[in-house]
Amino acid sequence: MNNSTSSMLLVGIGGAGCAMTRGVTRAFGDGLRYVLADTDAKTGEAGGPFILIGGDRLSGRGAGGDVVAARLAAEDSVQSLDESLEGVRLAIVLTALGGGTGGGATLEVVKHLSARGIPTCVFATTPFAFEGETRQRNARGMMTMIEEAASASFFTPLDKLVGDAESDMAGAMRRAVDTLASGITLFWRLVEKPGYIRLDAERVRHLVASCGRGRFAYVSAQGENRAASIVDALRRSPLLASGSGPVTSILCGVLAGDDLRLAEVGTISNGLREAYGARASSFELATVNDEETFSGRICVAAMLFESPRREADDSKNGETVKRRRRQRAILGTGPTGRGRFNNSEPTIWNGEDLDVPTFLRKNISLEF
Amino acid sequence: MNNIYAALEIGTTRTVLAVGEAETGGRLKVTCHAEMPSAGVRKSQILDINQVTQSVKGVLHEIERKQSEAGSTITIGNAFLVVSGQHVKADHFTGSTLVDGRVTEADIADVAESARSMALPKDRELLDIEDQNYGLDGLGGISAPVGMAGRILKLDTVHIHADRNRLEDARTAADGAHLEIREPLFAATCAADAVLEEHERRNGALVLDLGGGSTGYAAYCDGYLASAGVIGVGGDHVTNDIAHAFQTTQAQAEALKANEASAIIAKADVAATRVKIPGSSPLLESRTVSRRALDTVVNARLRELFAVIRETLEEQDLLHRLHAGIALTGGGAAMRDIDELARREIGMNVRPGRPMYVDGLEDETNPASFAAIAGALSYAHHNYAEKPIFGLDRIFKGLFK
Repeated sequence: MNNSTSSMLLVGIGGAGCAMTRGVTRAFGDGLRYVLADTDAKTGEAGGPFILIGGDRLSGRGAGGDVVAARLAAEDSVQSLDESLEGVRLAIVLTALGGGTGGGATLEVVKHLSARGIPTCVFATTPFAFEGETRQRNARGMMTMIEEAASASFFTPLDKLVGDAESDMAGAMRRAVDTLASGITLFWRLVEKPGYIRLDAERVRHLVASCGRGRFAYVSAQGENRAASIVDALRRSPLLASGSGPVTSILCGVLAGDDLRLAEVGTISNGLREAYGARASSFELATVNDEETFSGRICVAAMLFESPRREADDSKNGETVKRRRRQRAILGTGPTGRGRFNNSEPTIWNGEDLDVPTFLRKNISLEF
Repeated sequence: MNNIYAALEIGTTRTVLAVGEAETGGRLKVTCHAEMPSAGVRKSQILDINQVTQSVKGVLHEIERKQSEAGSTITIGNAFLVVSGQHVKADHFTGSTLVDGRVTEADIADVAESARSMALPKDRELLDIEDQNYGLDGLGGISAPVGMAGRILKLDTVHIHADRNRLEDARTAADGAHLEIREPLFAATCAADAVLEEHERRNGALVLDLGGGSTGYAAYCDGYLASAGVIGVGGDHVTNDIAHAFQTTQAQAEALKANEASAIIAKADVAATRVKIPGSSPLLESRTVSRRALDTVVNARLRELFAVIRETLEEQDLLHRLHAGIALTGGGAAMRDIDELARREIGMNVRPGRPMYVDGLEDETNPASFAAIAGALSYAHHNYAEKPIFGLDRIFKGLFK
């Protein structure tokens, strides 16, 4: 039973998101506070706190790859999440975009968490290239909306996560899930385990709440030149190589055994800063010493944030002005969205202008 | 000669004029009607009086042409006006009077006068007053208090009123077409008069009049009007949403809404198909849009509208009292699967609201779209039947010229 008192909550959405979350819970052990949410009732059979999304609408049979059905189902069920939110100060959402429950329900969950005043950090995989343009397009559309709804978001292409075109498909998918789950586990340890340079949940909450889209990677090395190897791996990591804008802040977590030397921390810190931090205004470093887990090894989890978080406009249920502008830009609509009602007396309901197209105000993605 | 009445509806998407004639059995028959697309109206409110006047002239000429073909040469002089738009509001007023021992008919008249004397702001014009029930010394829900003992008699009423200037604009526009507005009537209660049976009013029923620019509602419980109002969202909003989503003209969006869209998102195999949009001019090629996306846009708008209505009813503690369900009227009632969506979102049985007490509309493709105007004709028939000269003289002035 999940009885942790942590103020951080891990939320797995959809089949892949739940699998990643289970991977993190296995690696982290007791004390990790989490909840799983899926449209497929079978996901909950393996145990752990589980929310069936859209039980009435989809009968627990899954969304069948239908993004819209999953999103509607999530709208129905998202209130069920409230039971898991007591005392939660930061939510980490794990999901996979492109189709089905992860692609459809994630946005509704993130919006719900944001509406409850909980900063939300989303880690999402995006589809392999071979999965086709439709799933890629769905994922791209959802990424933008999630970025606008979440406090911080990390989108990781599965192609980059696996990086080996010769892998068998099942193995590649499993490896991708395991890789991201390992990274999240490291991140969790940074927050939950005491270290010489401590990064507590409140500090992470502050960092996440003021960030935007980011890149995330973790690397590990051992041996005599392990710190240099770490820097080299970070420089070459495809997950950190390119993003949608310049890096404005960096979070670097170093996890090692008791043999971690100060010089090694300096090498890693300086290397990461030189590689990606030319324009970064802040650099946060945290270390964890855990001899039992990391004996002889150094693991580094690096987060590069690309843009500051927008200023929230609380007058519209946490929706931001920028989000609305961005959404309109995506859909190629006019400056207000009121269209032919531009000069009419507005219809206002609960603070919303109902003359603006509903799908715009509700951030509903359309599969053109 | 039978009594003859005319009713005019200046809607956001269409202007309708209908003529009703009392039949020998006492029922009313719509003998002639005409409609044409409206211009100069947004969200049920007139923005261009001249354009509206042209629309009214258009339906008048069409009626006269049809009458002429039928061998008649009459000219319509006035009409009852069917009114909607979010400027229409409903308020509850309670009148009271002192009773001397037992309630008499005179006390009933006094308390009714008291309730009706409630003053409205100067910018509001009364459309209708509906009695609810009586109260006597704190005992409420009394339907027939005559003979009962008590001291203070009260009468709860609902006053439906509208923006005086908006009504004046409609009068001016009609006047430009030489048509006098006889009396303005609220569309949703007119529609209710046309489509609800008495047992439905007693058991609790809701009429949703889905117009082009707004949606009117009238809720009945225990046989009387419990609540009424207008939400400033109608079929035009669906059209506007489609036009925005797919970058079409309003005409293309209207065609997509009428011919292709569904209020319920189709199952996967159907939703995966694509819908053709003809080019907006001969030089532009046609293109296709995803049916799922189209249905998603429509579904989002209508779900929101029904959520607003549901919330409105919940706030007034009416939702659980409407056991006879919902009757959908207005042009929007023809939207594919809208009844099913309303059933899911509001949680009641839903049926199309076909006019039951007026003949002559049986062959219409969407009789529910004539419910309000049929109700207006019924109202005229029931309230003015005793004054035949009034009906003939005022409505068909030309006959006596």
